[in-house]
Amino acid sequence: MKKLLTALLIAALLCAVPALAEGAHLTVAYQYGLAYAPVVVAMNEGFIEKAYDGDLEVEWVQMSSGADINTGVMSGSVDVGFMGVGPAITGISKNVGYKIFTNLSGQEHGLMSNDDSINTLEDIVGSENQVALVNIGSIQHIILAKCLSDNGYDAHALDANLVAMKHPDGMNALMTGSLPLHLTTSPYIFRERESEGLHEIEALKAAWPKENSFIVGVAAIDLHDNRPELYKALCDGLTEAIEYVNGNIEATAALTSQYDGNSVEDEIRYLGMGSYSAETQGIEDMARFMYDNAFIEADPGAYADLVFDNVKGN
Amino acid sequence: MTKKTPVKGIVEKLVFVAVVLAAWEIVARAHVFGARSEIIFPRLETIARAFVKNFVMGYAGVSLWVYLLNSMKLLLEGMVLGILLAFVFSGLCMVSHGFHNVYSLVVAVADLLPGVALLPVVIIIFGVNPGVIVFLVVHSVIWPMSRNLIDGFKSVPKLYVEAGRNLGLSGAGMLFDVYFPAAMSYILSGLKVGWARAWRGLISAEMIFGIAAAPGIGMYINQMRTNMNNAEMYATLVVIIIIGLVVQYGILNPIEKHTVVKWGMRKL
Repeated sequence: MKKLLTALLIAALLCAVPALAEGAHLTVAYQYGLAYAPVVVAMNEGFIEKAYDGDLEVEWVQMSSGADINTGVMSGSVDVGFMGVGPAITGISKNVGYKIFTNLSGQEHGLMSNDDSINTLEDIVGSENQVALVNIGSIQHIILAKCLSDNGYDAHALDANLVAMKHPDGMNALMTGSLPLHLTTSPYIFRERESEGLHEIEALKAAWPKENSFIVGVAAIDLHDNRPELYKALCDGLTEAIEYVNGNIEATAALTSQYDGNSVEDEIRYLGMGSYSAETQGIEDMARFMYDNAFIEADPGAYADLVFDNVKGN
Repeated sequence: MTKKTPVKGIVEKLVFVAVVLAAWEIVARAHVFGARSEIIFPRLETIARAFVKNFVMGYAGVSLWVYLLNSMKLLLEGMVLGILLAFVFSGLCMVSHGFHNVYSLVVAVADLLPGVALLPVVIIIFGVNPGVIVFLVVHSVIWPMSRNLIDGFKSVPKLYVEAGRNLGLSGAGMLFDVYFPAAMSYILSGLKVGWARAWRGLISAEMIFGIAAAPGIGMYINQMRTNMNNAEMYATLVVIIIIGLVVQYGILNPIEKHTVVKWGMRKL
């Protein structure tokens, strides 16, 4: 009897091992904040797993920058990543081995000041007023450069005024008067707009409106070419998550507020101010601007070089 | 057993470095990390070219020299200030029991706090200027240095202290003529730890808090990472290693040789 049980156990193990190996596996890297709301929804609702015909294990990894995700994709340990459109274009131009498979969200950006004498770009260019933003070369830096360029200044006219600080540190520095200007995004921009004593430099709003792509999803070319069923499940799962966010703001807010520390009411408001869509907008213009103004060294090519063929937009 | 000669020591070190470099080159050439291995794990030749490029072209037209000089200036300011304060406070600990009690608590608590975690508070207090970085360097130097100094002062044999008193020394005289020379071995250990901690503290602070008007080496590394210029990033790490070696073998070791080794307190 014992022998029989042992034999059965071994047989069961032998069957289980190939079964485990056969199940598909996908590693998805994302970052912090409301701009990633559809990713949080897809993770919690299991949308990608549901869209896949078979066993699928999705491993979710939260990383703190697009550069980290780029390294992960290059080394083959990350299949899918969500990041700012800036690092994504940098990655594509550097031949990291991925392309954009979906747009995720667009968010409002704003340049806020605590100094009444600073109201236009003219008050900043040529002055020693410091501008805090999240990183030199970040999407916020590029948006500032685009704003300068759109208004007839050199795109790099404010490079020497920049101070790289994380969004919350920049908000604190602005509110305590440590520096006069902060360029930030959702949800910090909403909190700053509601704060007394702060006003907005209006010119920046037009440089990159919230309908434009801000966060995009990238997928390894290997995934797209060699595992088409899994790639399709990924796209379908994310599209469903984006539709879910647009159709169920309250349920989404209840979920994401647990991660962000905002109240559900604030979260509903902030979600309503974002734009969630699978269609890209403005990424070819962005790539061209980055190349023309030396934010990237290699020519990123045209729209078709940036995205997989199923992606709609410009 | 044959006596060790300095030449043999240098040969051993060079062989070790050659083995490490050869291992790096083999891994790089084997494309261990797949098709794009060359970008994440570049060959030595690529890193050497990037090393030159860092200084000749730099980032956005600004050579790595500029970043390096900015960092070294802040590092030096912070280290001098940190070491001076550590000497003053540790000296006071030897004079006053009450101060010693409070200061040892401050050292025990403050030494545990990572500098970058203090960044938001420091920015609120100091504003947005290079002073923030100097503060963080002081923070990384002063506590380990103080620990070593206090331990060193405490380990001075009672005999020396009594001999000093018999010679009529007190206060500052005791500190400079008895405590400092007798605790020299600990002071040098403190300097070594303090220097390494200051370097790391500076670079990590610069990586998350970068003032474009006074850019530092941490900001350069971050920039290279953001732009996926990994070879340039590794080349910058090589610069940091070279500076570390120069300080270790060009400054700290000679000081050690002319003091504690010469006095027979420690072997080199």
